[in-house]
Amino acid sequence: MKSAAVPTVFIIDDDRGMRQAIHDLVESVGLRAESFATGEAFLGTRHTGRPSCLVLDVRLPQMSGLDFQRRLAETGMQIPIIFVTAHGDIPMSVRALKSGAVEFLTKPFRDQDLLDAIQQALDRDRIAQEQQGEIHDLQERYHALTAREREVMTLVVAGMLNKQIASEIGASEATVKVHRGHVMQKMQAGSVPDLVRMADKLKLPPRK
Amino acid sequence: MANEDVQKTLAELSRELQESKARLEEAQRVAHVGHWEWDLETDVVVWSDETYRIFGLSPQERPMDLAAVRAMVHPEDRESLYRGVDEDLVAGVRPDAEFRIVRPNGEVRTVHSVTPKRWNSMPGDAKRDASGRPYKLFGTVQDITDRKRAEEALQEISRNLLESKAWLEEAQRVAHVGYWVWDLQTNRVIWSDETYRIFGLTPQEGLIDLDKVREMIHPDDREAVFRTAGEAVRSGARADCEHRLFRPNGEMRIVHSLGDLKKDSSGRPYQIFGTTQDITERKRAEEALQRSQFYLSEGQRLAHIGSWAAKDLGVRWSDDLGIYWSDEVYKIFGLDPQNGPPNLEQYLAAVHPDDRASMAETVRVMHEQHGGCDVTHRIVRPDGEVRHVRCVGVPVFEDGVFKAFHGTTIDVTEHERLTQELRRERAYLAEAQSLAHIGSWATNFATRQNFHLSDETYRIHGFDPRQGPPGLERFWDTLHPEDEPVVRSTLENAVRAGMDYDIRDFRIRRADDGQIRFLRTIGHRNPVGEIGEYVGITMDITELKRAEEERERLRQLEADLAHINRVNMMGELAAALAHEIRQPIAASITSANACLRWLARDPPDLERARAAAARIEQDGNRAADVINHLRSFYKKGTPPERGIVDLKDIIREMTALLRKEAVRHSIRIHSELHEDMPNVLADRVQLQQVFMNLMLNAIDAMKDSGGELTITSRLNLEGQLAVSISDTGVGLPTENTERIFDAFHTTKPQGTGMGLAITRSIVEAHGGRLWATANQEAGATFHFTLPARIEADA
Repeated sequence: MKSAAVPTVFIIDDDRGMRQAIHDLVESVGLRAESFATGEAFLGTRHTGRPSCLVLDVRLPQMSGLDFQRRLAETGMQIPIIFVTAHGDIPMSVRALKSGAVEFLTKPFRDQDLLDAIQQALDRDRIAQEQQGEIHDLQERYHALTAREREVMTLVVAGMLNKQIASEIGASEATVKVHRGHVMQKMQAGSVPDLVRMADKLKLPPRK
Repeated sequence: MANEDVQKTLAELSRELQESKARLEEAQRVAHVGHWEWDLETDVVVWSDETYRIFGLSPQERPMDLAAVRAMVHPEDRESLYRGVDEDLVAGVRPDAEFRIVRPNGEVRTVHSVTPKRWNSMPGDAKRDASGRPYKLFGTVQDITDRKRAEEALQEISRNLLESKAWLEEAQRVAHVGYWVWDLQTNRVIWSDETYRIFGLTPQEGLIDLDKVREMIHPDDREAVFRTAGEAVRSGARADCEHRLFRPNGEMRIVHSLGDLKKDSSGRPYQIFGTTQDITERKRAEEALQRSQFYLSEGQRLAHIGSWAAKDLGVRWSDDLGIYWSDEVYKIFGLDPQNGPPNLEQYLAAVHPDDRASMAETVRVMHEQHGGCDVTHRIVRPDGEVRHVRCVGVPVFEDGVFKAFHGTTIDVTEHERLTQELRRERAYLAEAQSLAHIGSWATNFATRQNFHLSDETYRIHGFDPRQGPPGLERFWDTLHPEDEPVVRSTLENAVRAGMDYDIRDFRIRRADDGQIRFLRTIGHRNPVGEIGEYVGITMDITELKRAEEERERLRQLEADLAHINRVNMMGELAAALAHEIRQPIAASITSANACLRWLARDPPDLERARAAAARIEQDGNRAADVINHLRSFYKKGTPPERGIVDLKDIIREMTALLRKEAVRHSIRIHSELHEDMPNVLADRVQLQQVFMNLMLNAIDAMKDSGGELTITSRLNLEGQLAVSISDTGVGLPTENTERIFDAFHTTKPQGTGMGLAITRSIVEAHGGRLWATANQEAGATFHFTLPARIEADA
């Protein structure tokens, strides 16, 4: 239980000395560290559910750190990134930060700066993971609805009265009431505004 | 003597006398001879009857005396007759005279009067007085008029005959006609003088026989000649042939002979009489005429020139206008000469419709004013082909009276085509010249005369082609004052030497708009022309020059870019090096931080701290290695390829290479090199790099100010080669002069700070030294030494 709670810091740096030094520093503050010489090696590992972050060297042999960042985003892997570089310039750091990087540090950096950045990144990841878990639950509940119930849910969220919904879907008002009760129950929604919030989180397409 | 006897005797005598007198009278009458007696004392004259008759009187019509006789003698003969009688009498010779008398009816007769020679001794006729002096003259007179006339007629005939003969001879000679007679029995031939001459012989040079004639006739013609003669003898027809003969001197003549057969009373032919005419000249003239006619017609045919004549050119052409067309005119018009010349309507029908009206007008004006013409018009041949024809006609006057038109008709189609083609080509050429900005010209520089200037030549100089060729001086006037002396002298020298010239680049101020243009002009002496005659072209190279300058600028830019690239590359290199160094340093700092954190733990994790410390050492060493690697970059980086190098060569190369760059910044490069510099054993490329770096630095230092770059070389006291490169630029920093040789030390915005560091490494690698000193006046001098003999260094 405890080990599962320890967040992991992934390190990608082609310079062995640097990689080892950061790995050691991370471990010296009691965090778990995993280091890789290339981005490919990192992608080859299973991503765990625990909070994590990535310390990424901008200059990598095969692919630049910035390109690697884009690639991660494309594959849907959301992990906060801290860039470190031996010769960073301002445009490069701006680009990195715009693309969602937590921090951009120039080697040699102060150890506390790196550790602060790591902490911030892990916090961000934790929140993100929580949000991701809630959405996951909602999606499971939504998938449990019948096609008719989903239709009714959309119309309820759109603010329609039962009578309106009945004429819309060509059913009796009583039938609508039954569907609506099922929706509220399956979605575990206490009220209509609650259901609206859920629909929003599920990013359901609004009714035309 | 008895009287009777005497009387009888007298009577007898008288009778006898009377009888003899009568007989005499009769004889005289028959013979037209009269007699006379002239008493010299009394001048009484007694005539016989016949004498009276001779004088046109009746016998004894009246007594005669000297005066009466004298009056009847023809006045022209009177004087000489009587003087002659006196003289003869004195001389005692017989008077004998022929003279004319005039009868009373005016008839003139010629008479012959004779006095017997021995008149003084004959009885009766020689009457003399006692002193012996004659006192009576006796004589006869005979009318010889008829005889005289007959004689004269004979003389005339014979003279005429002689003349005719002479004329005949002359005629034969002039006409080159001789005659001949061929005796068929003897085969003897008689020739006239001219016949001899025709055969090239002296007239009557000898006898001619048939064999001789045969021999002289041209061998090819002999058979024909004698066959013709034989034919004539057989048939009696006239022989007629032309043949050739050879004169003794070998000359060939052509003759025409005619012969007629003569037959005797029995009808047997005995002779051929003939003529031979020398027709050589005529033949030759004929041949010459034929030849010249042939030449003329052939000439007309070849030149497509026909001739024509007409008594007049009426509004209506007809036979009485006497139109004559030579064959070639027919040929030009494509008409058949058999049909004769066309009438006006037919003629105009042959003229191209577009030219017909004007041609009709031309004919009309010629007819009315008897003027000439010279027109070129088109005709359409019967087969539809269109030809261009030039028609020239002139009126001919005799004593101011119009006689006829003579003219020529020339087919000028080809000429016209060529003219049009020439015109077209000229237009193309002008177009080409205007596109290429090349003008052509022909000028005599000696007479300062322009023969030909193409339109583009005018335009290039800014002259107006419509104002005609400007004089040479106006061309001189357009020359840019700075270029004029060179252009003028180049050109004048070339003209004087009769050489071609090419003035590649000079400026003019264009006459019309005053623009400065760059020209090139090439002149070729015209070898067939007069002295000073040149043909050539002038090009406006302004645009070309601009393009060239633009190209040069781009090339410079390219070079600059290459320079910048090089600088950038050096920057990258430096950046890479910085990264290389920064990496281990950053790693060791991080490891140190980790180490401290392991130690700060409670309890301190010594194991991890030690491991961290070990990494710090490792990274520290790694950083040191990078720097060592850099320092040894030029010692070990590229394996040196050393060989014998002449520094002078390298200096020359580098000077040439950087000359342009130097000139661009108004920098003068000059070198003072020791004559006997020993060679060095070195890496040529590296030494080039040393010079390049030091010279580029010097140029950079003088970039804004210009100045002088001096390269000197000598042998120093230690026997080393000492080279110094000196500039008059910004000079060295006042403090820490040595730092300029440090890597990454730079004062230039684009500099890498590596140049001097590398240069020093190279020099030191070759066993030499590099240092810098400030000049007293301005700028800096970089010195380096190289051992004169360098051992091969691995």
